[in-house]
Amino acid sequence: MSDNFRVGDELPRLRHTVTTFQLFRYSAVTWNPHRIHFDEPHAREEGHAGLALHSHLRAALALRCITEGLGPAWRVTNVDYRLRKPVYAPAEVVYTARITVIDGDSMTVELSEESPSGEVGFEGTARVSTTGAAT
Amino acid sequence: MSFTPEPGTPLAVYYAETRPRTGAVLSRRSLGTLDPVTIGRYAMTIGATDPVHYDPAAARSAGYADVVAPPNLLAAMVEWGIGTPEDRLQPDGTPVDGDVPVGGGLGLRVMGAGEEMELVNPVVAGTELVLETTLEAVTPKQTRGGTCVFVTTLNTFRSADGAVLNRNRRTVVLRNPAGES
Repeated sequence: MSDNFRVGDELPRLRHTVTTFQLFRYSAVTWNPHRIHFDEPHAREEGHAGLALHSHLRAALALRCITEGLGPAWRVTNVDYRLRKPVYAPAEVVYTARITVIDGDSMTVELSEESPSGEVGFEGTARVSTTGAAT
Repeated sequence: MSFTPEPGTPLAVYYAETRPRTGAVLSRRSLGTLDPVTIGRYAMTIGATDPVHYDPAAARSAGYADVVAPPNLLAAMVEWGIGTPEDRLQPDGTPVDGDVPVGGGLGLRVMGAGEEMELVNPVVAGTELVLETTLEAVTPKQTRGGTCVFVTTLNTFRSADGAVLNRNRRTVVLRNPAGES
């Protein structure tokens, strides 16, 4: 399966507009009452420039870039990411996934998120495998 | 060179109280059964359209026992079950007694800083979940944004039969209340 890919290949980019509706729903479905995600005056009191995207929402979007780019034959087995900068809604974000290692039935993919300012605010790596793609 | 938060600040109080607990198991508890509506709502919220998250037949065709969660659903859940009553929330909305110690009552500002996830087994609807949380590290740092403390917890999610589903090392960053150093 990894024969279809080469080191350096980039999966289709995920371009996404994060809205305040999405932040509200993400807070609701994860039962997250942290006010920096839904209460803008409070977020600004804490020093933010607006409603902050949830770190896990940003990770979920980055992982969509992988799962949608590779398809159902692949399963994400490991993820490691760091948040460099907050992003505030509404925001146009672009996620990139680039293959850096191919090792048999597994690959390592480098992840990054570009925010409207052009800054990289999220970066990480993920390991994917065709072994045990479903149980 | 060692670094500690400025004495007398809420962050210094937090650091002094929390660092000695490094290595401790903070909690071990049953989370209940993961239901398909939660999986479907989470998938819809993040924009994932694969029918394996919504349609049991599609999930079974793909080899799963039932609808399957997107990769970081377990990591993303802040509260399970009915959650924390409002009078047990801090002014910033975070639960006083959450899985990550955030210094209840000290007014610290908290944000996610990153996570390391090992997704050992797919997470499907109907799974009875058990979560064990261990405090792995409490590390003060001086950053461009000021003094902060990074806290890393290891969350191990298992099914009721003991099989590991996820091992997630989550790091949050804590800062003094706005206006304090």
